[in-house]
Amino acid sequence: MFHALVAIKQVPDTTNIRIDPDTGNLVREGVPAIMNPYDAHALAAAVEWKRKLNGRVTVISMGPPSFTTTLREAIELGADRAILLSDRKFAGADTLATSYVLAEVIRAVHSDDPVDLIFFGKQAIDGDTAQVGPGVAVRLDFPIVTYAVNVRAIDLNEATIVVERKTERWTEVVETPLPALVTCEKEIAAIPFAPLPDLIKSLRYDPEIWTLAGPVEFAADEIGVRGSPTIVYQMGTPPLPEAGEKINTREAGVSATLDLVFKKAEDAGVLDAMLGGAQ
Amino acid sequence: MNSERIEFDAVVVGAGLAGAAAAMVMARGGLNVALVERGQKPGGKNYFGGAIYTHAIAELVPDFMDRRPPFERPVTEAGFWFLARDGLTRMTVQGGELNADPADAYITLRANFDAWWAQQAQEAGALLIPKTTVVDFLRKQTGEVVGVVTDRPQGEIHAPVVIICEGVNNLLAQKLGLIDHDLEPATLALAFKQVISLPMETINARFGLQDEHHGLAASVLGDVSLGLPGMGFVYTNKGSISIGLGMMLDQLAEYRLRPYDILQRYLDHPAIAPLVQGGQLLEYGGHLIPEGGYHAMPKLYTDGAMIAGDAAAMVNALHWEGTNMAIIAGKLAAETALEAHSRGDFTARVMSRYEDRLGEGFILKDLKQYRGFSRFLETHPQFMDVYPNFLNDSLGQFFSAYGKPKKELFNGMLGALTNRRSLIRAAGDIVSMARSVMGW
Amino acid sequence: MTTRRFWVYIEQEQGQVHPVSWELLGVARRLATEVAEEAAAAGDVISVEGLLLGHDVRSIAEEALQYGADRVYLMDDPVLHSYRNCPYYMSIASLAKKYEPEVFLVGATTLGRDLAGAIATALRTGLTADCTKLEMGEVKGASQKLLLATRPAFGGNIMATIVCRKHRPQMSSVRPRVFPAPSRDPNRQGEIVEEEVEVTEEGARACILEFIHAKEDAVDIEYSDVIVAGGRGLNGPDGFKLLKALADEMGGVVGATRPCVDAGWISYAHQVGQTGKTVRPKVYVAAGISGALQHKVGMQNADFIIAVNSDANAPIFEVADVGIVGDLFEVIPAMIEDIKARKEARA
Ligand SMILES: Cc1cc2nc3c(=O)[nH]c(=O)nc-3n(C[C@H](O)[C@H](O)[C@H](O)COP(=O)(O)OP(=O)(O)OC[C@H]3O[C@@H](n4cnc5c(N)ncnc54)[C@H](O)[C@@H]3O)c2cc1C
Ligand SMILES: Cc1cc2nc3c(=O)[nH]c(=O)nc-3n(C[C@H](O)[C@H](O)[C@H](O)COP(=O)(O)OP(=O)(O)OC[C@H]3O[C@@H](n4cnc5c(N)ncnc54)[C@H](O)[C@@H]3O)c2cc1C
Ligand SMILES: Nc1ncnc2c1ncn2[C@@H]1O[C@H](COP(=O)(O)O)[C@@H](O)[C@H]1O
Repeated sequence: MFHALVAIKQVPDTTNIRIDPDTGNLVREGVPAIMNPYDAHALAAAVEWKRKLNGRVTVISMGPPSFTTTLREAIELGADRAILLSDRKFAGADTLATSYVLAEVIRAVHSDDPVDLIFFGKQAIDGDTAQVGPGVAVRLDFPIVTYAVNVRAIDLNEATIVVERKTERWTEVVETPLPALVTCEKEIAAIPFAPLPDLIKSLRYDPEIWTLAGPVEFAADEIGVRGSPTIVYQMGTPPLPEAGEKINTREAGVSATLDLVFKKAEDAGVLDAMLGGAQ
Repeated sequence: MNSERIEFDAVVVGAGLAGAAAAMVMARGGLNVALVERGQKPGGKNYFGGAIYTHAIAELVPDFMDRRPPFERPVTEAGFWFLARDGLTRMTVQGGELNADPADAYITLRANFDAWWAQQAQEAGALLIPKTTVVDFLRKQTGEVVGVVTDRPQGEIHAPVVIICEGVNNLLAQKLGLIDHDLEPATLALAFKQVISLPMETINARFGLQDEHHGLAASVLGDVSLGLPGMGFVYTNKGSISIGLGMMLDQLAEYRLRPYDILQRYLDHPAIAPLVQGGQLLEYGGHLIPEGGYHAMPKLYTDGAMIAGDAAAMVNALHWEGTNMAIIAGKLAAETALEAHSRGDFTARVMSRYEDRLGEGFILKDLKQYRGFSRFLETHPQFMDVYPNFLNDSLGQFFSAYGKPKKELFNGMLGALTNRRSLIRAAGDIVSMARSVMGW
Repeated sequence: MTTRRFWVYIEQEQGQVHPVSWELLGVARRLATEVAEEAAAAGDVISVEGLLLGHDVRSIAEEALQYGADRVYLMDDPVLHSYRNCPYYMSIASLAKKYEPEVFLVGATTLGRDLAGAIATALRTGLTADCTKLEMGEVKGASQKLLLATRPAFGGNIMATIVCRKHRPQMSSVRPRVFPAPSRDPNRQGEIVEEEVEVTEEGARACILEFIHAKEDAVDIEYSDVIVAGGRGLNGPDGFKLLKALADEMGGVVGATRPCVDAGWISYAHQVGQTGKTVRPKVYVAAGISGALQHKVGMQNADFIIAVNSDANAPIFEVADVGIVGDLFEVIPAMIEDIKARKEARA
């Protein structure tokens, strides 16, 4: 039976983020927490294949207890089992430490109940790093297909998948042996409107919470702040773009206005681009 | 796959004030209750002024203060502001009853309050089912309601009794035949408001409030509604102000008025602008209020179903009271549902006990008493125009030293009114205002 | 004496080099200069080095020398013909173990991000994603200057500067077009070091069955140098014909705000903003666009923004490099004529 695993992160809805103009700090209060959108699409794809192949879906996440909300939502969207890695000592992890914890958990799940295919989001919208997926694949020594837009075929007998991935230049159709890890773009699958029984099941579901105490053993120097080679050295708000000059055509006339525009374009070094890249 | 049948003892439609109250009471009575809410979270999209009355809350949750309700401020000052074209007369009361602790009313923001309120229902054991909209009913051949149909796949919920608390809509009431027509614009007010953030200290200073444990709730009459029937409001939250106004929907349509423009004009008023100056707009929204009163109410029950709150037009327009009616009506409907369960009879015969219960309390009495008010302002435009201006001018004169004999001054003031409206007619206005309020 | 190596991944696909590679050689050179004094005092040698993988790509290695690399490590083998994660990351990781670079920069392209995360994990080192600012700076407690890598986070609302204290290399992926490309010196010499490729076809564990190229007519606003975008101020679908004329003249493509797309004036592929595409062209013309936050987040990183709006208080002017307060139906046609004239004058 097909077994898919999906890694899901809960993120602040960055489209709603405000910066306190006085302190320059992130206003976290009132910013809704959501399932990382790419992960939601990845989950939707996993659930589509679970339905096709009559399988099951396990979701995992590392984060504070408040992440259970998002894991419940994963159950609503069709996951069968949800595991949250939650322990103070995991906090402060960078992508290297995160990939360690997730990889160890996947190993544990895999040894009980072998996983065929792992779905990650392309990236998490809070950090936008796109590093955890490749990191986990390397640690598990699974082949990886990033930027997947379509899982064309899963052949459990041959243990292969065919995936379309979209790069800047073209779309590649890649065949990879299973078990494998894919990181997903939003096109991978549409997020379904869950059936009522699934919603009700999710409302009553309590995700399994795994901590440092078990069931998986973690090396103390690979997790959390200790396991993270990078540290945030400084934080600040980006400098506001300085508003450029404003000029009124009624006062200056259109042609004088355009002269100024081209002058500014020249100063900014984009005149060639404005003239159709002409040499 | 997911073919199991979803069954509950009762379904409540809408996790607003009425709905959560109904769910709470039924769950406490031992029923397995589904509380279905179309929003992401209870209250997420709900809007009101507003202030919430504790007498109703206390009836369901006596120890509510210990459960840390998300109140903004208690109402320690309440009353009317009369807005003239260029001035403002305030007639508010503070102290006395308004100093009670816990207070009689608290200013709140619905997104916070509804979540807390629904939480009380959940703690009592009700299952909150969010992000799900009820679109129809399950009915027996005989027509008796035996559950609801939601918009989700496999979305039927079976239950012998359904309490409809869908708010100002009457879509579901129509589906059940409790009312035979759409909401009429003439019975609906459209209220729209802004929440404007300001530092707490600034709010205290501008509104003359001692600290964040003091709050103002004012209804604003006069130059808010362009001389049309309508009423503004101002509420002080902890770190923001809720300010807006309500006008009748038919009039907005008739005069092609855009709510945003009217609200902006109100905010730009020379007496209002300094109060909100420098504030940051947090949200803007509108919501309908069913102001048709007693005459606009649907039939309140049928076989297997009851209806409560705004959905049943239970609002007292003059006092901005709706939340308390919704809560109490939800409770009474729930008690009726419990009675039905204990008797095993869900027909209209038992459901009619809901209307009896309503009749014993204040809701139906108040609604009957105020039944004329919604049309009162419409037939008496002077409340929006003549009186506020008169009050301002005359009080302005009264408190100015002109170096004239005071007798002359009073004559002048009286003249100012009689020029606008004869004394007899002014007296008549007061009588008819009283009539609409007292239900004479 | 040690050699302090500043590495740059030279990204190529099917013989085409991604220009970010040259930009990064420029950055690496600058970073190297920032530690020159420190290195001289310690008697260390500094080396800016390119890393090139592929098949039949030696000429690119030479080009890299001309763009400022002192040395290029070349892995040339049929197994590396097309980019695939496994053979590439494994080859590079083994090379990095051999030479122990201090800093390693990779372009934050789809390929670069796929690769960098895998390499960093294989080397168990830190990687800062999508940087927009890089410098070598003194950090308390560190004996040498460290790479200070600055990047946007939380949808661009916050800038974070990240350091990697102990682990080496200090890796960053870097946004294309943030840094200027250095000029090419055809006479510049350097060393090309050919390295053994150990990965076999079996170890590649992926087989590319097919490349699908986008259809000709599909708009690619994401990677266009010039975008002429319009909003509700265009008053209807015909307004976009006017913008298309300007875009054609400028060699660019047409963008749009969401209401225009919702109204069916133009297809979704053209939408810029939060629920559309994020773009960073060299030139962005915003005509009849008010500049709502949801639109601005998608375009404010453009190098040069020209806004045309009749309302002098439109928020779009806050991000514009030059703001034209005026009627777009007057300004845009005049601009088309103006550009024609300037192009003729040049020819
Ligand atoms: C601007 C304004 C100011 C006001 N000020 C005050 C005041 O100061 N004090 C006061 O007491 N009252 C005030 N009111 C009135 C008061 O807000 C309402 O009377 C009260 O909220 C009614 O509660 P309810 O539970 O009936 O409806 P609501 O609170 O509207 O709740 C209905 C709920 O049902 C949900 N729903 C609707 N249809 C469906 C469906 N088909 N399926 C599932 N869910 C559904 C909705 O999402 C909503 O959560 C004010 C109203 C307005 C608009
Ligand atoms: C969740 C969410 C996501 C969204 N996502 C996006 C998104 O991805 N992209 C997006 O664009 N929007 C998005 N929006 C919508 C966004 O908030 C704005 O509504 C939209 O960007 C406004 O489009 P506009 O500037 O074309 O229109 P308007 O705001 O109506 O502005 C039109 C402008 O044209 C000017 N104008 C009119 N006539 C002329 C003339 N003759 N000459 C010059 N100027 C003229 C006017 O002064 C005005 O400033 C989103 C909104 C939400 C809530
Ligand atoms: N804390 C986490 N818990 C579970 N999955 C995660 C976590 N962090 C990252 N991921 C997964 O890794 C993907 C890439 O994240 P990032 O590298 O942070 O951009 C996400 O889309 C998730 O699928």
